[in-house]
Amino acid sequence: MWYHKPVINEELLQSLPNLKIVASSGVGIDHLDLKLLFSYGVKVANTPFIVSTDTADLGMALLLASSRRLVEGHEMAVSPDTEYFPADWLGIQVSGATLGIVGMGTIGYKVAERAKAFEMKILYHNRNQRKKEEESAVGAVYCKKIDDLLQQSDFVLLAVNLTPQTHKLIGKRELELMKPTAILINISRGLVVDQDALVEALQNKVINAAALDVTYPEPLPRDHPLLKLKNVIITPHIGSATKRTRWVMMEEMAESIEAGLAGLPIPREVL
Amino acid sequence: VGKKVQAIYLWWHKPVIDKELLQSLPNLKVIANSGVGMDHLDLKLIASFGVKMANAPRAVSSSTADTGMALLLASARRLVEVHNISISPSMEYCEADILGVKIAGATLGIIGMGSIGYKIALRAKAFEMNILYHNRTQRKAQEEQAVGATYCKKIDSLLQQADFVMVVVSLTPQTHKLIGRRELELMKPTATLINISRGAVVDQEALVAALQTRVIRAAALDVTSPEPLPRDHPLLKLKNVIITPHLGIKTDKASYMITEEAVENILAALNGLPMPSEVLPS
Repeated sequence: MWYHKPVINEELLQSLPNLKIVASSGVGIDHLDLKLLFSYGVKVANTPFIVSTDTADLGMALLLASSRRLVEGHEMAVSPDTEYFPADWLGIQVSGATLGIVGMGTIGYKVAERAKAFEMKILYHNRNQRKKEEESAVGAVYCKKIDDLLQQSDFVLLAVNLTPQTHKLIGKRELELMKPTAILINISRGLVVDQDALVEALQNKVINAAALDVTYPEPLPRDHPLLKLKNVIITPHIGSATKRTRWVMMEEMAESIEAGLAGLPIPREVL
Repeated sequence: VGKKVQAIYLWWHKPVIDKELLQSLPNLKVIANSGVGMDHLDLKLIASFGVKMANAPRAVSSSTADTGMALLLASARRLVEVHNISISPSMEYCEADILGVKIAGATLGIIGMGSIGYKIALRAKAFEMNILYHNRTQRKAQEEQAVGATYCKKIDSLLQQADFVMVVVSLTPQTHKLIGRRELELMKPTATLINISRGAVVDQEALVAALQTRVIRAAALDVTSPEPLPRDHPLLKLKNVIITPHLGIKTDKASYMITEEAVENILAALNGLPMPSEVLPS
């Protein structure tokens, strides 16, 4: 299964009596009704770890691009109307700034490792606190309350998976807790953010900017306000979109399928 | 008014410092530059008028290194291209057509390992990149080890192995057109060139030809010759080029620090004290 297609529902499962395994690309499984699949005796596998590095890289790419207004800058540099570069055109400094990571799983931790090299102060919010050695290795400080993270961060990066608990985790209240100079980066799932609240917050300068690899839906309708805001960068869910990683994902999915069909233990099985 | 001026704080190369200006400011003692590059100033001419000069090296290195990494990542993951697809009225695209280059495990070749180049190495190491560097002189062993960087005495060796070539030298007669047709042809066809130094370090015409004929994969340029480029320049039309308007040090924090450094230098010069970052003609 690739990018949530085909949609797995009761009708489809009934029409495929010999279906043994569904191999899903990527790490997210929020689009799958696991209870339903298991009730039909179908096994499920994903590709959880191979995507982590590229997704963390994309998170940093979006953070840097957004802070320095890279897309806007490129547009100015190539626009037919540009006569000179204004001297007062500034971005936000990344080195030495505070990054708040919401969701410190594999991907979140890799973001922290990268951010540390930029001399960033790292705060994180997670269901559980990480071990002391893991925290010290990246200089990350645990924020038990998400509010503390939101109030102190110059950059807020979302790296949680989508569950009923993280649905609309970032809404109007959370956006208002953020600094007006802060930037929101989302590499998790569109539904983790209350999109309407985000549009309003960006329009009213409650926060400075946003960079989104994920939205709801994907793609957004062509008349959606997010597409028109100058302080928004949107990428088409490319977290894992490098040649090498996609190749490995395909290999892993094929491997899981072969094992499933042969009745052997399935690598990367989702239970 | 001319007689009253004792110091000039140069903001983005203005005013132009020529003989005429220097003659009209008999009491000028110091010129402080808002940045580190001094290639736009005739150092010998200014010194001949007994005027001291200073740049702002401390304030620029982090933000410029950040710019270099921002361009590397944006180019590798085709950020500008895919953003435009995301917001375009017609969303037709094939996933396979927008794949980027994996950064972890790739080789970064840094040409010019001064303060900025070294900060880039520190950042790139965290992205699990292999680092090669070419510099006038080799760095100390501990400095190399701290970032896992390998010295390439010959620039050719770096160009042949690197997936990303980042140019971070200052502009001097020796680095003028350092990257020309020969150098571009030594690079891998899958490689990306990133320039955060000065436009004149790259032979721009050779670069255009190399990009058009896929001699290299892509380029990301924070600096060009001139800035901005003429509106009909071929570089503006190439899909595999990202151009940014000399963002290097354009952040709130860097601007503040640069101005602080300039003021320190100006006050020192006016009080006859040693200047923190004096630049001498050499």
